Amino acid sequence: MTGSVTDTGDRRRTSDAPLLITELIDEETVQSIAQEAWSALIGDDEFLVPLPGGLPDDAVSSWVEIVGAWSGSVVLTCGRSTAEQLARCLLAEHAPPVLDAEDVQDALGELANVVGGNVKAVLPGHSVLGLPEVGSAPEPGPDALRVDLLWRGQSLTITAQGSAGAPTARTNNQYENEVPL
Amino acid sequence: MRALVIDDSKVMRRIVAGILEGLGYEVQQAGHGREGLDVLEGGYVPDLVCVDWNMPVMDGLQFVSAVRSNPAWRQVTIMMVTSESEHGQIVRALAAGAHEYVIKPFTADAIRDKLALLGLLPEEVVL
Amino acid sequence: MTLTTTSFDWVRALVHKESAIVLQPGKEYLVEARLLPIAREKGMPDVTQFVESVRTRPDADCNRRIVEALTTNETSWFRDGDPFTALTSTVMPSLLAARGPNERLQIWSAACSSGQEPYTIAMLLEDALPNAATRVSITATDLSREMVTRTRAGRFSQLEVNRGLPAPMLVRHFVRAGNEWEVAPALRRMVTASECNLAAPLPRMGPFDVVYLRNVLIYFDLPTKQAILRRVRDLMRPDGWLFLGAAETTLGVDDSWERVVVGRSSAYRPLKGK
Repeated sequence: MTGSVTDTGDRRRTSDAPLLITELIDEETVQSIAQEAWSALIGDDEFLVPLPGGLPDDAVSSWVEIVGAWSGSVVLTCGRSTAEQLARCLLAEHAPPVLDAEDVQDALGELANVVGGNVKAVLPGHSVLGLPEVGSAPEPGPDALRVDLLWRGQSLTITAQGSAGAPTARTNNQYENEVPL
Repeated sequence: MRALVIDDSKVMRRIVAGILEGLGYEVQQAGHGREGLDVLEGGYVPDLVCVDWNMPVMDGLQFVSAVRSNPAWRQVTIMMVTSESEHGQIVRALAAGAHEYVIKPFTADAIRDKLALLGLLPEEVVL
Repeated sequence: MTLTTTSFDWVRALVHKESAIVLQPGKEYLVEARLLPIAREKGMPDVTQFVESVRTRPDADCNRRIVEALTTNETSWFRDGDPFTALTSTVMPSLLAARGPNERLQIWSAACSSGQEPYTIAMLLEDALPNAATRVSITATDLSREMVTRTRAGRFSQLEVNRGLPAPMLVRHFVRAGNEWEVAPALRRMVTASECNLAAPLPRMGPFDVVYLRNVLIYFDLPTKQAILRRVRDLMRPDGWLFLGAAETTLGVDDSWERVVVGRSSAYRPLKGK
């Protein structure tokens, strides 16, 4: 196997200190995961450009929690108008004439779920993915990897942030040897 | 042909249902595994179920096991459609009795290709 | 300017004629998106003007590129799976019976793109034959250097493995490598990839027992089709099997082939004495 982040189990430390997210995944991988999600779900020719843009004041977040060998959350943040456009693109011809707030939240949550699920798959060990949530995301601590992107000139960020020290951080270790790679 | 789409995201249900309807399927929807079982128990036994993994109340893996434990539903083909994408997770889903597995994100073409593999695609297909 | 009905209809007709793929009304956006890069490259301000220029002044190269742009992401694993089913149900048993136990069968995937076809063949053989790697070798060639490099790497994105690869085969023959999936080493050892231009004299290869030459001839004019088929035939064993794309045939192109029905698919075999 040549995969640089394929889990063999021996990378895991025997001490209690969890690995930092930046030791487990890089910006380029997060960006490529997001790009695949955009190409498939938002549109064939929709590109995410890795440039910082500055989020508007009314920014909204969606996120999924990951609990297990690594614990934390994957958070997608963008302006409200960007979120609406994303929902419309995602639904495409299945979009109702008027999108309600629930549709926009649902769409944004689903994008976080898709990106988060694929981020989880790159991380070593077995972890469990939570259900998507939408609102004001938990503030990232020092253990965070943030990717700034531009979509159609509008900025959005994807942040993988560890919850080291949180009560859920070191549960589910019984799954450690389950993934049969 | 009849399908049941189970996903806790209404948006995702509409997308998957829309693709299947475009291929000529009659589609019903459910928001989690338990609701999905209710639909089956209510007498709507579809040719195909597309089911998400992570959902409230009853997740997709539990749903697959429940369907497989009832011989009356032996003919139902199950395809998981989920962002769970580890090698080991796909193995678990297949072991539980899912026939196919589509990783989110997916395109309409991916769903169509998988249905072709399963022999569940109507004859004439156009782009 | 958005695509006019006249332009769209012309593109639809061209794509249908060359690839047998139907573009339904409502897919104008697809045509716009896929053809814009070519239009720009040709110095045209929009897709309609580009299409009109090709429509009024026929240009074989532009035709080919239009069809390619609208059909090339059809790279999936078992799409149109009949030629693969035929391989394990009929072709391999007959060839294995005809060859000695120490003779290695040679299979050629002549337009391998990013590698889905040669690895599909490798997976099928690995599942069907004990010691497949010692009995069979697969030569994968493509015009594009990038595609040859990708085939050698044997790595595929999440979106690529979603396209018509049965999940049981994915878990049996692939491992995750970061955000991608990598073909198992045993399969990679069966496949040798190199560059090859089918429209020019071919390098010394073969002789091949089975050749997959699918969706290649559609891009060429009649004399080129004839030349390609002649050159391919020269590299095949007399009892070899050729598989073409579902919309392709040797009939009316080159009469030195016999068409045989294999399951739900057709194969072509060299006629003796031709």
